[in-house]
Amino acid sequence: MSGRIIPILKKEFRQIARDKRSLAVLSFQPLFLLVMFGYAISLDVRHISLAIYDGEKSAQSRRLADEFGHSEYFDLKFDLASTQEIDGLMSRDQIQAALVIPADFSRRLLKDNACTVQIILDGSNAVSASTALGYIEAVVQDFSARITARALLRLGNQPFQQPVDYRPRVWYNPELRSSVFLVPGLIGFIMIVTAVISTSLSIVREKEHGTMEQILVSPIRPFELIIGKTIPYVLIALGINLAVLVASYLLFGVTVQGSYLLLLMVVLLFLVSSLGLGILISTLATTQHMAFTLSTLLTILPAFILSGFVFPIRNMPPVIRVLTFLFPGRFFLAALRSIIIKGAGLSAFWQQLIGLVLFAAVTLALSTARLRRQYRGTEGQA
Amino acid sequence: MSGAAPYAVEARELSKRFGSFTAVDRVSFNLDKGSIFGLLGANGAGKSTIIRMLCGLLRSSAGTARVAGYDINTEPEQIKRNIGYMSQRFSLYLDLTVAENIRFFGGIYGLSKQLITSRLSWVVEMAGLRGREDELTGRLAGGWRQRLALGCAILHRPQIVFLDEPTAGVDPLSRRDFWELINRLAEEGTTVLVTTHYLDEAEYANRILLIHAGRIVAEGSPGELKEGLPQAGPIPPSLEDVFIRLIEKQAGGTGS
Amino acid sequence: MNTIGYLVRKEFQQMRRDTRMLRIIFMSPIIQLLILGYAANLDVREIPAVVCDLDRSSRSRELAGSFFHSGYFTYAASTQAMGQVDRFLSDGKASIALIIPQGFGEKIAGSGTAVLQVIADGSESNVAISALNYTALIVGRFSNRIVLDRLDRAGIPLKPVQVKTEARVWYNPELKSRNFMVPGILAQLLMIMTMMLTSLAIVKEKENGTLEQLIVTPIRPVQLILGKLIPFILIGFIDVILSLVVALLLFGIRVRGSLLLLFGLSGVFLLSTLGLGLLISTLSRNQQQAMMTSTFFVMTPMIILSGFVFPIENMPRLIQYFTYLLPLRYFFVIIRGLFLKGSGLAELWGQALILLGFGVAILGLSALRFRKRLE
Repeated sequence: MSGRIIPILKKEFRQIARDKRSLAVLSFQPLFLLVMFGYAISLDVRHISLAIYDGEKSAQSRRLADEFGHSEYFDLKFDLASTQEIDGLMSRDQIQAALVIPADFSRRLLKDNACTVQIILDGSNAVSASTALGYIEAVVQDFSARITARALLRLGNQPFQQPVDYRPRVWYNPELRSSVFLVPGLIGFIMIVTAVISTSLSIVREKEHGTMEQILVSPIRPFELIIGKTIPYVLIALGINLAVLVASYLLFGVTVQGSYLLLLMVVLLFLVSSLGLGILISTLATTQHMAFTLSTLLTILPAFILSGFVFPIRNMPPVIRVLTFLFPGRFFLAALRSIIIKGAGLSAFWQQLIGLVLFAAVTLALSTARLRRQYRGTEGQA
Repeated sequence: MSGAAPYAVEARELSKRFGSFTAVDRVSFNLDKGSIFGLLGANGAGKSTIIRMLCGLLRSSAGTARVAGYDINTEPEQIKRNIGYMSQRFSLYLDLTVAENIRFFGGIYGLSKQLITSRLSWVVEMAGLRGREDELTGRLAGGWRQRLALGCAILHRPQIVFLDEPTAGVDPLSRRDFWELINRLAEEGTTVLVTTHYLDEAEYANRILLIHAGRIVAEGSPGELKEGLPQAGPIPPSLEDVFIRLIEKQAGGTGS
Repeated sequence: MNTIGYLVRKEFQQMRRDTRMLRIIFMSPIIQLLILGYAANLDVREIPAVVCDLDRSSRSRELAGSFFHSGYFTYAASTQAMGQVDRFLSDGKASIALIIPQGFGEKIAGSGTAVLQVIADGSESNVAISALNYTALIVGRFSNRIVLDRLDRAGIPLKPVQVKTEARVWYNPELKSRNFMVPGILAQLLMIMTMMLTSLAIVKEKENGTLEQLIVTPIRPVQLILGKLIPFILIGFIDVILSLVVALLLFGIRVRGSLLLLFGLSGVFLLSTLGLGLLISTLSRNQQQAMMTSTFFVMTPMIILSGFVFPIENMPRLIQYFTYLLPLRYFFVIIRGLFLKGSGLAELWGQALILLGFGVAILGLSALRFRKRLE
């Protein structure tokens, strides 16, 4: 059997090598995309553009406003003269949040020990809005606590002791850089798009150019053809993937906490799965255009949204969560994050591995079955 | 035609180079109006390249040519208005029906609705596809497709028709019918330039140009060419004999 | 009927025949919007937490209780062993661990300070940030109650000062990230569909020889391009309508702004994406090249860099400049403005103008570059 696969391998390699432009794009673009996107993507909510309306302009209220001015999370952009301006500024996307300090701010604090400030948020970006809200509330709460402490001190009591000393610690990513979370996802995204795109045309192109018939009458069996077409891309993709991992280490400080061997295994399995998907698409499509359409629709947005790259799978409705099992990116990403970020062992992600193996097996089997039907002529004219 | 151009097609030292490869090497000829001109040669001899240049599809690297009085390099769009072209692949839309293809090309050539309807009838008749107007072109056998392609190429009754290997892969019976069609066209005054590597077909042409490795090897009517060759045996020489002899002479002469 | 009309009719005739493609073209926006719309959720709620209560006093239970009653956290597990906490975090079963040491209740009851340890799984950084924020808030409130108690007991007539906040959220009062994501996905889908259709449109004819037959006729490049453009703009509009219906019926998201404006500006956006696709199609030698070019050089950059989910303000300067070249960037602003803010032409004219300029420029470029020659 290997005797027949070798000629197919050679032909595929030769064809790939001859189309230098495509090969160059295939080899370098993923790397380039990693670099460009890697620096660009972040989920950190910073530079929240803020406007403050200080109705009182007392020492107290200015102290509160200052807290926001000094915070690294906020960009104090406007000092408002009236609350009417908020509407226009927000609808023109010039501010994301506004703080309204009432005209009787310090009087209220003195009399009732309580006062309310108003926060207005641009909810059109729900993520940054809720984070911004959290930050603002934290600043305000902090401000309150400090006033209380000072008041106590003035009453001549012993220095105020906080009843709870709260010590947060962050594991795996102490600086809470979103890139640690995102870059593995980016790697998976780029890999699956590359893998599927590169293989999805391989079989259907032969159909369109008519060379498929020639192969069908030769002694080559469907399975051998599929293996022969997949292996060159596995090797190429493996090379690209390794380059991508090295680049992400050099540029983004993404180090592998866990075992390199496990990493290699996971990467290989993912590659075979993705390539299997590409080949399956190739056997299903009747024209190159259809193959392109299918591979675009099945990889780009799904890999971006359903693989856990940005949107946590845990947040998704149960039905959708089940659907994500249909995408190899989901398994890959979970396993990748386990190994890279947490240094976890096999116990943490063996289910993901099984998922990948199943996916690879199913796509390759289906592709073989489709090809076999074409061989036996039960398929109509392609 | 612009002015009173004496010839339908004039080529002067026409050449085409692709990088270092010379596909067409200083080819010159004149085509009389209303004649059938055969461009003969083996595959890769440069026939298709010549036709493509004459149609305005390729720029020449050197030399000039005039088709219907227009220059191929500077006035290709005027040429395209006056010619019909049928490529090697009978480029029709396989996912359109016979009628849809005809209506489409008729529309592209700017024919009016009534004209398209009458020409449709004519093409369908000529191609022998009466009753099959609603069949998908992709389902037609080679011979039918070829005739349909010819029909689509002459819908607008151009003065000059270029046919590039129109009979490739078609059965002998259909080939003969096809040449009858071409003859009829020529009788009506259309100039036809045909490329083929079927040398027996060339007998149908008025004049022949034999091409080898981008160069003209011989030119004349079929009779003239055959006369030039002494009879070697009981069978009178065919064009094939002429061709082979000339090629051998060429190869021997240039040592290629 | 003129040349362009015949070209358009031919496209529709071909499309009608390819039922598989038709199904894909019309079903996929619906299906994708449905699935992705439900999936794209960045709301950080119900964070799984593991509690390691080593004190087991009424106070520690009170604290743990207020944790889970806040609605931000869901109960994942509780354990007595620190080693288990390790496992829960590394296996991803919990994103945050609350560790209440022994003696917590005593210290609280007295006047001392009790230490509270919280460990967050930083691998999902935005979850961690929110979790820590929420924790700080909850602990803060808990702490304030204790302070109140202590001040009472000590007979000090002081109420802790409370600056309260009252939040009002505009455009999206429930702060559902879905309201923000679904219009974004709609825009992405539109971009992908149109790029997919057009980037192979011309090169396909090149590969199967019919382009040769077309350019040997008197047809002009502009006519050819418009002949391809018009059918696809119509399909684009149909996709917009389908998506709007899905957004409304299944997600309850309606367009606050003018529908007419939405269609008009979608049309302008379509011009630029279709133009890009056609440009790629005329420049590519074969379908594979066209596919790679549009995937790697157009679609993936637009998906990631146009500001769908990754804020453009966070990107390095150089990349921010690059995003000015992406039509989708402007369309995101437009579509979110129309859906969420009810923006009108007064706010969006800048984006609209740029998109229009893009479209015209790219189409013009395609028409100029397209030579009616074979090489």
